[in-house]
Amino acid sequence: MTIVGIGLRNAWRNKIRAVLTLIGVAVAVIAFLFLRTILSAWTTGADNAAKDRLATRHKVTFVMSLPLRYVDHIRTIPGVKAASYANWFGAKNPNAEDQFFATIAVDSKTFLDVSDETVVPPDQKEHWLGDRRGAIIGDHLAKQFGWKVGDKVTLEGSIYPGDWEFVIDGIYTAARRSVDRSTFFFHWDYMNESLSAAQKDRVGWVMTRIDDPSHAADIAKRIDDSFADQETQTLTMSERAMNTSFLGMFSAILKAMNYVSIVILVIMGLILGNTIAMGVRERTHEYGVLRAIGFKPKHLVAFILGEAVLIGAIGGLVGVLVAVPFINQGVGRYLEENMSGFFPYFRVAPHDAILAGLLALGLAALVAAIPAYQASKLNTIDALRRVG
Amino acid sequence: MIPVAYNVRSLFVRKATTIATVLGVALVVFVLAASQMLAQGIRRTMGNSGDAESAIVLRKGSDAELSSNLENNLVSLIKAAPGVKVGEGGAPIASGEIVVVIAPQLVDQPGQVANVLVRGVAAEVYALRPQVHIVEGHAAKPGTNEVVIGKRIRGKFTGIDLGSTFELNKNRPATVVGVFESGGSSFESEVWGDVDTVRAAFGRNGIVSSVTVRLLSAANYDVFAAEVEHDKQLGLKVQRESDYYEKQSEGTSKFISFLGSAIVFFFSVGAMIGAAITMYAAVANRRREIGTLRALGFSGGQVLVSFLLEAVLLALLGGAVGVVASLSMMWVEFTMMNFATWSEVVFNFVPTVKIIVTALLAGGLMGVLGGFLPAVRAARTSPLVAMRD
Repeated sequence: MTIVGIGLRNAWRNKIRAVLTLIGVAVAVIAFLFLRTILSAWTTGADNAAKDRLATRHKVTFVMSLPLRYVDHIRTIPGVKAASYANWFGAKNPNAEDQFFATIAVDSKTFLDVSDETVVPPDQKEHWLGDRRGAIIGDHLAKQFGWKVGDKVTLEGSIYPGDWEFVIDGIYTAARRSVDRSTFFFHWDYMNESLSAAQKDRVGWVMTRIDDPSHAADIAKRIDDSFADQETQTLTMSERAMNTSFLGMFSAILKAMNYVSIVILVIMGLILGNTIAMGVRERTHEYGVLRAIGFKPKHLVAFILGEAVLIGAIGGLVGVLVAVPFINQGVGRYLEENMSGFFPYFRVAPHDAILAGLLALGLAALVAAIPAYQASKLNTIDALRRVG
Repeated sequence: MIPVAYNVRSLFVRKATTIATVLGVALVVFVLAASQMLAQGIRRTMGNSGDAESAIVLRKGSDAELSSNLENNLVSLIKAAPGVKVGEGGAPIASGEIVVVIAPQLVDQPGQVANVLVRGVAAEVYALRPQVHIVEGHAAKPGTNEVVIGKRIRGKFTGIDLGSTFELNKNRPATVVGVFESGGSSFESEVWGDVDTVRAAFGRNGIVSSVTVRLLSAANYDVFAAEVEHDKQLGLKVQRESDYYEKQSEGTSKFISFLGSAIVFFFSVGAMIGAAITMYAAVANRRREIGTLRALGFSGGQVLVSFLLEAVLLALLGGAVGVVASLSMMWVEFTMMNFATWSEVVFNFVPTVKIIVTALLAGGLMGVLGGFLPAVRAARTSPLVAMRD
C-alpha cells in the first residue's frame, strides 16, 4: 500500500470529520479566491493601461479645467503623436437616477484614434462623426437601459444643468480589459456650443499618445514645463499612474481586504490543524503498534503528513473547481454587466487559482508538522499504554 | 439538568482543540464587529456633519456640492427667505460656500498626493455650525488668506499644519492659523478659508457651490423649502443638511457593510465547521461518559441540551475574544475616499452596544448551528452500547 493509499484510508476513517474538513478547506479557498479576484479586478484598470498614453490635467485640482488652447500646444511637443481631450459631463438618466454611469464629452475627431481600445463598427463610427447630437455607448450600458442604435435619449445634467438630448449612434465594445463598457461618449462640440462664455472652451483633461513608451517620463515633464509660467499649470502622468492614483484613494480598503485574505488562510489552517491533531491523538495507540512491529518514526511522519497534504489538496481542488465557475460565470458576469464602471473585468486570475490550491496543500503540511513531530517522538511503550 | 460545570471542565481537558475552535470563532466575530463598527463610524462621521435644524441649497440636479454652481446673487435671496434664523448682530445665520478639491503631497508617502476638500465659508459659519470649535490658534480673519484646518488632517500633508503656509493654487498662498474640531464629523478632514479668498484663488468669482442656512427650528423647514423652490426658474433644490450628509454616507457605509457581510458569511461557515469538528470529537471521545449519564437517568434531551450548551459556551468564548479584540480598533483611523466629494475623509471604528451584542450573539449562533448535529448524535447514544465499549 502506498502512502497516498494509507493517507486516504486514514482520512476516510472518520467520515463526518473528513467531509467537514474538506468543506471547510473548500469554503476558505472560495473566499480567498473571491477576495483576490476583487483585488485584481480593482487594479485591472491600472495593470492594463496603455503604456504609450499620457494624461494631462489641472495641477491643483481635478475639479478645474484647462484652456482649450493647451491641446494644440501639447500637439507641438516633441514625442507627442496625437492628442485628444475630454470633459467629465456628469449626467444622469432621469428614469433611473440612482444608476451611475460615466458621461464624457470627447473630441470626436481624435478620440477613437487615441483611445484605440474603444471599438465601434465602421459604419456606426461614420454616422456618429456626422451627427451633432450623436453618442456612442458601451454595450453593457446599452443592455442596462435597453438602449438601441437610433434611440433618442434625454439626460439630466448636473455639472452642466438642463436637459440634454442625444441620439444613440453606436455601441462600442472593448479591445482591452481595462475599458469600462458602460460609458456614454458624445461630441465635445455639442456641449461647448451650449455653454456660457465663462465656461466655454475649457477641457477637463488631455489624453496624449506618445511615440516611445520608454520616454513617457521625459515627455510628461516637457509638457508640464511648457506650462510652468502660465496661470494654469498642468500635471501630466502616464495613464497607469493616473489610474493608480485613483486606486490610492481606496488603498485602505484594499489593504483591509489583503489582511482579510490572510485571515482566511489562518482559519483554514485552524480547521486543518484541528482535524489532523485529533486524528493523531486518537491513533496514539496504533502508532505504538506500528512502532512495535518495526515502522520507523519517519514512517509515522510520512503517514501523518501524507494524510494532511491529501486532505489539503482535495479540499483545495474542490474549492478551486467550485469557485472558478461560480465567480467567472455567476458573480463576475453580473458585476461586469451591472457595475462595469467599477469592475470592467471580474474573473479569477489563473495564477490566483493555482496559488489558492498550493496554499491549501502547503498549509496542510505546515499545520500537520507539529502533530507529526510529536508522533515521531512517541515512546513506543507509552503509546501502547495509551487508550482512546 | 446536567451541571454546566461538567461542560466547562470538558472544554479544559482538550486545550489545543478548544483554543483552535475559539480562535476560529473569534476571528469571525472580530471581522463582523469591526466591519459594522466602521460602517457605524462612517454614518456617525457624516451624520455629525449635518444638522436637522439647518438646510442646504444646491443647484437642482446636483447630488453634491462639488458639482453644484449657484450665482452669488442667489445667496442674499436665499438668506431672506422665511424660516431663516437671525443672529445676534441682526444678520441671518447662513453661509454661501464654495467647495473645491486640491491634491497636496502626503507627508508619510513622499511623491504621493491625496485629495483634500477646501471649503470657502462666510463669517457666520461658526454660528451656523455651533459644533465647530477652534481648539488651537484662532479663527481665520475674513478677507485674508488665513485658513483653519480640521484636526484630522493636521500634519498629514506638507504645509498643512498650524503656522505653516501652502499654495491653494499657483501664487495663491494660504496660512494655517487655527485647528478646529467638530465632534468627529467629516468637516474635520477639510480646510476652511474665507469664501472670497478661496473662489478668487480658483477663478470662481461670483459663484458659490451651496448655501447653508440655520432654521428657526426644524419645523420651519417646509416653509423655507417651499419659498426657495417656488420659483422654478432659479433651479434650486433644498435639503435638510442632515439628510444631505446621510445620503452622502449611504453608499460608502453600505459598501463596507456589504463587503463585511460577504466576508463574514464565508468565515462563519469555516468557524461553524470548526465547532462541529470539535464537538463531534468531544462526543466520540466521551461515549462512555454519555452512556454513564444515560444510565444514571439523564434523558436523551438532557444530554442534547448539555452538549449544545457546551458548543454555545465554546462559541461564546470565541465571541468574547473577538469582541474584545475588535474594541482595539477604536484606536485605528481609517482613511477612505468619500464617493460624493472624491476627497479623503478620516473615519473611526465606532462600537455601539448593539454591534457588540449582535456580534456576540452571532458567535453563539455559530455554536448552536455547529454543535447541533453532534449533540443529536450524543443524545442518540444508546447507554448499553456506549458502556460496553
